[in-house]
Amino acid sequence: MRRAALPAALVAAGALGVIALWGQRDRRWYVEASPPLVVAIVGLVAAGLVLAQRWQRARTARRDQQQLRERDAHARAARTRLMARLDHELKNPVQAIRAGVANARSNPGDVDGDQALASIDEQARRLARLVADLRKLGELESAPIENDRVDPAEIVHEVAAATADLPDSDRREMRVLTPEIPWRVGEIVGDRDLIFLAVMNLVANAVKFSPPGATIEVRALEEDRHAVIEVADTGIGIPDDEIDLVWEELARGAAARAVPGSGIGLALVRTIVDRHGGSVFVRSRVGQGTVVRLRFPLAVV
Amino acid sequence: MSPNQPRVLLADDEADIRTNLAGLLTRSGFDVVVVEDGRAALDMFEAGGVDVAVLDVVMPEVDGREVVRRLRRTGTWTPVLLLTQVGESAERAMAIEEGADDYLNKPFDPHELVARLRALLRRASGGAPDLARARGVVSGRLRLDRAARRAYLDGVELALTPKASTLLDYLAVRPDELLTRERLLEAVWGWDNPVGTRAVDHRIAELRKALGDDSGKPTWIETVAGLGYRFVGDVSVER
Repeated sequence: MRRAALPAALVAAGALGVIALWGQRDRRWYVEASPPLVVAIVGLVAAGLVLAQRWQRARTARRDQQQLRERDAHARAARTRLMARLDHELKNPVQAIRAGVANARSNPGDVDGDQALASIDEQARRLARLVADLRKLGELESAPIENDRVDPAEIVHEVAAATADLPDSDRREMRVLTPEIPWRVGEIVGDRDLIFLAVMNLVANAVKFSPPGATIEVRALEEDRHAVIEVADTGIGIPDDEIDLVWEELARGAAARAVPGSGIGLALVRTIVDRHGGSVFVRSRVGQGTVVRLRFPLAVV
Repeated sequence: MSPNQPRVLLADDEADIRTNLAGLLTRSGFDVVVVEDGRAALDMFEAGGVDVAVLDVVMPEVDGREVVRRLRRTGTWTPVLLLTQVGESAERAMAIEEGADDYLNKPFDPHELVARLRALLRRASGGAPDLARARGVVSGRLRLDRAARRAYLDGVELALTPKASTLLDYLAVRPDELLTRERLLEAVWGWDNPVGTRAVDHRIAELRKALGDDSGKPTWIETVAGLGYRFVGDVSVER
């Protein structure tokens, strides 16, 4: 109310000025009667300001509503995509199990029957893995996390060392970059095991989605009071139309479908970083490679 | 039904799970009794002769957890394996006040159930002191106050992370048992925790450092190459 008082007084004064002008058509008087004219102009400007302010407010409200609607639509679309992927992930094993049962019934005890049982077992395991993966994501979103002091440089060195256990990693060139001049990267507060897991997942992806001879670089740097961990590769890259979807649960790009995996890795990475108050970014060029960047707030020293 | 066939009581409200597990357990040498809810399970206990029980947590009327509570309240210490619910961390499920002797999370490998039941029966018949239910245990210079989750070496309290102290407790009350990394991971970190088995190795390293235990000549924690860990110290219930 207080803020509206001044413009309102000016509008009233301006209106009086306009009324005063209305009665006096004489040009000379008009010039001499400049105080009312000044008042009138000030009044008009004030009225304009008030109207502009009101219009601005209405526009902001409309924009907020629009954003809310967009976010809502975005969430709904993501949910629809997740349901479609779940449907896809579930129907194939279930179909295989039903086929296997039919097969085992018609060939009890013989080789075909044994094969059918083996495939039923394999598909049931596949479903169990899917359930376990989804639960892990759910657990991660809600479970309390530890409050250790975590050294990002130590993490990236350890991840690089652990890469040797990954299949095919011997044909990638691993590099580790942890600048220490003029100081070492600061510490993060959080769960050491989870941060290790996040970076390990990124490196496993880099190995998976790059040809033999590719280079993978793991970096830990400091930037704007944040610790940044990056995993860069000279791999196959991610097409533009898939790049926004990589962080979603069960998302698998067209090129990724040929490569075994759960489609849960990056969703896990995103959730881990979220839980530490950080953020994730990905840049990629098809045929050139990908950089995934995790940004964590530094521990207060 | 030969007398050396241990009798297992299986309670689950899902008929297909009951039938199939009962078949497997029977072929594995158990004498199986099936019931479909907690009340019937309590009746069977009352009738007697149950050597070990598998109870689903989620059952109508009296759930598995309640069955265990009532059994323990009335002084029945038959080993019980609980089939637990989604979204429960093993750490919470394994609280010593709970009273169950082991836990599996659905969906599990049915052969794992057979192995766990055999281990429970072995432990029950070994006549060993019941460490899992003790409030405190001692192994040489090491003393664990289990209720308070504190560990003392030569009377001095060790500064351990929560995970490391839970891990030490889990190992110490299962002396001489080979515990795989996977088993330790699910017991201490929870079934649904995504961290890998490397997390177990990290905490073992922390414990060894705190205890001054040499992995080459261990007093307490032995590495079983490629498999997991074993607590090799003699453990007794603290009086």
